[in-house]
Amino acid sequence: MNPTLRRLLAHRGALLGIAYMVVLAFTAAFAHLILPGDPLAQDLANTLDPPSAEHWFGTDELGRDLMTRAIYGARTSLITALGAVTIGGVIGVPIGLIAGFFGGWRDAILMRIVDVLLALPGILFAMALIAVLGRSQLASLVAVGITGIPGFARITRAQVLSLRQRDFVTAVEALGGSSAYNMFTNVLPNAWSPILVSVVVLSSVAILLEAALSFLGVGIPPPTPSWGDMLRTGKGFLYEAPYYAVLPGIVLTLTILSLDTIGRTLSRLIEDRQSAEDEG
Amino acid sequence: MTSYILRRLAQAIPVLLIASLGIWAMIYAVPGSPVGALVGENATPEQIAAVTARLGLDQPILVQYWRWLLAALDGDLGQSIQNREPVLDLIAKRIPATMQLGLAATLIGLLVGIPVAVASALKPNSLLDRVLSGWSALALGVPTFWLGILLILLFAVQLHWLPSASAYYSIFTDPLAALANLALPALTLGLYVSGVFSRFLRAALISELLADYVRTARSKGLRERDVVGRHVMRNAMLPFVTVVGLLLANFIGGTLVTEAVFTYPGLGRLLIQAIGVRDYPLIQGCILFILTIYITMNLLVDVLYAYIDPRIDYH
Repeated sequence: MNPTLRRLLAHRGALLGIAYMVVLAFTAAFAHLILPGDPLAQDLANTLDPPSAEHWFGTDELGRDLMTRAIYGARTSLITALGAVTIGGVIGVPIGLIAGFFGGWRDAILMRIVDVLLALPGILFAMALIAVLGRSQLASLVAVGITGIPGFARITRAQVLSLRQRDFVTAVEALGGSSAYNMFTNVLPNAWSPILVSVVVLSSVAILLEAALSFLGVGIPPPTPSWGDMLRTGKGFLYEAPYYAVLPGIVLTLTILSLDTIGRTLSRLIEDRQSAEDEG
Repeated sequence: MTSYILRRLAQAIPVLLIASLGIWAMIYAVPGSPVGALVGENATPEQIAAVTARLGLDQPILVQYWRWLLAALDGDLGQSIQNREPVLDLIAKRIPATMQLGLAATLIGLLVGIPVAVASALKPNSLLDRVLSGWSALALGVPTFWLGILLILLFAVQLHWLPSASAYYSIFTDPLAALANLALPALTLGLYVSGVFSRFLRAALISELLADYVRTARSKGLRERDVVGRHVMRNAMLPFVTVVGLLLANFIGGTLVTEAVFTYPGLGRLLIQAIGVRDYPLIQGCILFILTIYITMNLLVDVLYAYIDPRIDYH
C-alpha cells in the first residue's frame, strides 16, 4: 500500500472521516436498494409527524420521510460536489500547468484571469450566475465548479514551478522532448499530491456552497431532495417540528468535518514527506 | 510605499472593471430583451422609453456599458422593478443593519478567538490545546445556517429568551431591543469568525514563540505575561492582518446566510429577495455594491499590512 495512504489511515481522525465518507457514498449510491421509501412520495395524512418506528426522523410538511430525503440528499450533494470539483480541476489544473511550465506572457495572462476569479467571493459569483442561468441543479453545479478553478490553478502552478527546475524535467528538455510530453508525462504525475489535497478540500467547499445556495433558495430547486433545501424548509417549522432541521444538519456537518479532517491530515503528511525528501 | 499603493490600486481597478462588465452583461444573458430585464414585464411605454434613453440601449453594447458605468459612478444604479424605488436608496437603507451585524460578529470573534488561540499556543499539543483546536475545527466546520437554526431552537423555541426572527434596531437609539435582536445572529456569525481567528493566531503565536528574542526575553527574567503580551502578541498579529483579508470573502457569504436564517433586514437579504423576484437592476446594484466594498476593504488590508510591517519591501 502507498505509504502516505497507510499513514493517513493510521491517523484516528482521518480514519473516522474516511469511514464516514465511505458509508455516506455507499448509502447515497445504493439508496434505492437499501431504502424502502421514495423520497418524493407524499402522505398528506401524516405531515410533520414526530420521529416514530415507521419514520425514524419523522415526516416533512408533505408527509415525506425525512430520513429517506436526507439520504437521497446525500446523493444530490455528492453528485454536485463531484461535478463541481471535476469542472474546477479539468479547467484549473491545465491553467496552472501551462502557466507554471511556460512562465512569461502565458503565466501573466492566465494568472491575471485567475486572480480576477479569486477576487470575487464564491457565493456572490455563484448567485450572480444562477440569477442569469435560472435555478437548476446543473446551474448550481457549474457555478460552484467555476469558483473552484482558481484554487486548482494556483496549487498546480506552485507545484509545477518547483518541479520545473528539477533535473529530470530539464533533462527531457535538453534531450529535445516536446513540452507537451514533458508536461503531461513528467511534471504532472509528480504534481499530483497537492492537487489531491485540493480535491478533498474543494469537495468540502463545494458541498457547503451548494447547501448554502439551496438554503438561500437559489440552489437546487425542489422537489429534488437536498440538505440545504431541507434546512430551509425545516426552518419554517421550528415550533411545529423542531426535529425537522436536525438530521440534515447533522449529516451535512459530519460531511464537512470529515472532508476537512481528511484534507488537513493529508496536507500535513505530504508536507512531512516533502521536507523529508528535501533533506534526504 | 506610495508606489506600492498605486500598484495595488492598478490591480484592483481592472478587477472591478471586469467584474462590473460581467454584472452589466447579466441582462443580456437572461431570457427576454435587456430592456425587459431592466424595467420588468409591467412597465409602461414611458418607463421603457426613459430607460432606453438613459442607458442608450439603442446604441452599441460598449456604449451602453459605459453609460451604465458612468451612471453607477454617479450613484445612479437605476430603479427597482418591484417597487420603482431608486436601487441606491434601497441599498442605503440596509447598510446600517448589515454593518451592525458585521461589527458585532467581529467583536465576538475576537473576544472568543484571541483567548482560545493564546491558551492553545502557550501549551502546544497539550490536552487543553487539543480540546481548543477541536473547538476551532467545530466552529469552522458547522455550517453557519445550521448553527443559527440550533441557536433558535435553544434560545427561542425552548427557552423563549430571544426572538426567533431578528428585526433591526440601532444600538444607539434602542440598545436593549438591538441587543435582543442582534444576539443570536451575531453569535452565529461570531462563532465562525472566532474559529478562523483562533486557528490562524495559534499558528502565528507558536512560530513566534520559537523565535530567539523570546528566549532572550525569558532568560533576562521577564514575566511570561509580558513576554507574550508585549512582545510575541505584537509580532504574531502581523501575519494575522492578512487573515482579515482572506476572511472577508467568507464573511460576505456568512452574512448572506446568517441574514437569511434570522430574516434580518440587511443587504444580503435584499439581494436574495431581488434574485427571488428577478429584479435585475436591484440584483446588479447589490452585487456591484458588495463587490466594491469587498475589493476596497481588501485593498485597505494590504496597504495597512505594508504600513505596519516596515520590514517588507514591496517590489
